[in-house]
Amino acid sequence: MIRTIRHITLWAGLAAGLAAFVYCAGALYGIHRDNDLIRQLISGKDVAVNKVIGGKPELRLARAFYFKRKHRYDEALSTLSLIMDKGDRNFQAKVRYNLGNLYLEQAVQQALAMNTNEAMPLAGLAKQAYRQSLALNSRDWDAKYNLEVAMRLLPEMDRVDMPDDEPTKQKSQLWTTVPGFPRGLP
Amino acid sequence: MRILLIMALSLLGCSGAIDEPVSYFNVETPRPFGYVNGDEIPQRIIIETRSGITLQTGSLPAKGQINRWLNLNQVTVKQTGQRYQIDLLYQVFYAPLEVKALTLPGFTVQLSQGEKSIGQNVPAWTFTLSSLRELIARQTEQGEYMRPDSPPPLLTDTHALYGLVASLSVAVLIAAYLAYLYGCYPNMLRRTVFKRALRKLAGLSKADMEQALTVVHQALNSLNGQPLFFNRLSDFYRRNPQYLQINAQLLWFFTYSNRYFFSDGMIVVAQDLQQLKDLCEQCRKIERGSR
Repeated sequence: MIRTIRHITLWAGLAAGLAAFVYCAGALYGIHRDNDLIRQLISGKDVAVNKVIGGKPELRLARAFYFKRKHRYDEALSTLSLIMDKGDRNFQAKVRYNLGNLYLEQAVQQALAMNTNEAMPLAGLAKQAYRQSLALNSRDWDAKYNLEVAMRLLPEMDRVDMPDDEPTKQKSQLWTTVPGFPRGLP
Repeated sequence: MRILLIMALSLLGCSGAIDEPVSYFNVETPRPFGYVNGDEIPQRIIIETRSGITLQTGSLPAKGQINRWLNLNQVTVKQTGQRYQIDLLYQVFYAPLEVKALTLPGFTVQLSQGEKSIGQNVPAWTFTLSSLRELIARQTEQGEYMRPDSPPPLLTDTHALYGLVASLSVAVLIAAYLAYLYGCYPNMLRRTVFKRALRKLAGLSKADMEQALTVVHQALNSLNGQPLFFNRLSDFYRRNPQYLQINAQLLWFFTYSNRYFFSDGMIVVAQDLQQLKDLCEQCRKIERGSR
């Protein structure tokens, strides 16, 4: 009786071990296939959309990365919006940083083309995305730098005055809300 | 982790007045310089109160946006007896054109004793913030220089790899054990015939002589591949010549076994069992190759 139970247990254990092996082998194969697709997208080659649908968030981020590089901003935006809440904090910070870059690049283009009305909301959205990214990962120097770019492009309305700052003699509003970068020293 | 510099502001306490509600108060903040846009600034407030006085956590600043350039990301209060440790984590979002002094706003912590309320002022704290970009920022072909997109991370296969190795190891071990149970290692089994026989003999006494003899017979049979009898010993030696060196003991064994099973009035003494074990020991040494 004990022998029978032992044999049944061993055979069941063997079956479970083999099933787990097959499952892990399948998962490993899927990971390597997805990584190949991500590398392909990074290198600038598109992949079939059905391979991305239902895929991991990293794969969608790679596709958004590809779209942004090809200046297909709307598609990049819709792809990023699908993965905003996916993954861990670092991944979410990365998504928001890339989203900020997406807005900022368009804002810069609009500002250079003197399309102020289009540039302002885009710069505002970029700042918001960078702030969210930095709230999730405050050590991202690229996000800090680009947030500063966005803040210079669209300065904030109110100025912080410290008591020991030099008193300004200028009566008019110093900071402009018109997007644009300073082009020369005073 | 940034090195915390202590900015001691001993406003109350330490003076020895027994009836003062706050016996110790300190605000710890890191260095007051070298910050940039997006940095987090931790602030620790330590308050030790007289017994019966409790901290009103509602009087602490609320998590969220403090003003346009300052966020409070985290508020943690740890209480140990009458000691309160308040950890605040601010994050600054300001892009100055040059090094600029900014101030974390002060606030008043409310402490209560019964229906009475006492206020403990946490002073404002000034620090300097630096710019990350030069005033005339560099330009690229696309216009303003900005940091590129963060490349998408590759998927990690560590967990799947560990799972694969672990499941394969478990399956191989179970399969090997099953193969052993099903007798798929005849050579290995033949090399442990007398080891197993010795193990069985160890638990037997002279009263179990019949069982002991059977164990040794079975061991010799399985080594021979067929039942081994006294008159076929020469064939056995031809196939296993190394056992010829214990011929005398094997002859004794078969003679003794014949007498035990087929003669009447056989008296077993402890010496016989010991001799049987010695024979088995010799066989074990031969099968192990140490003799």
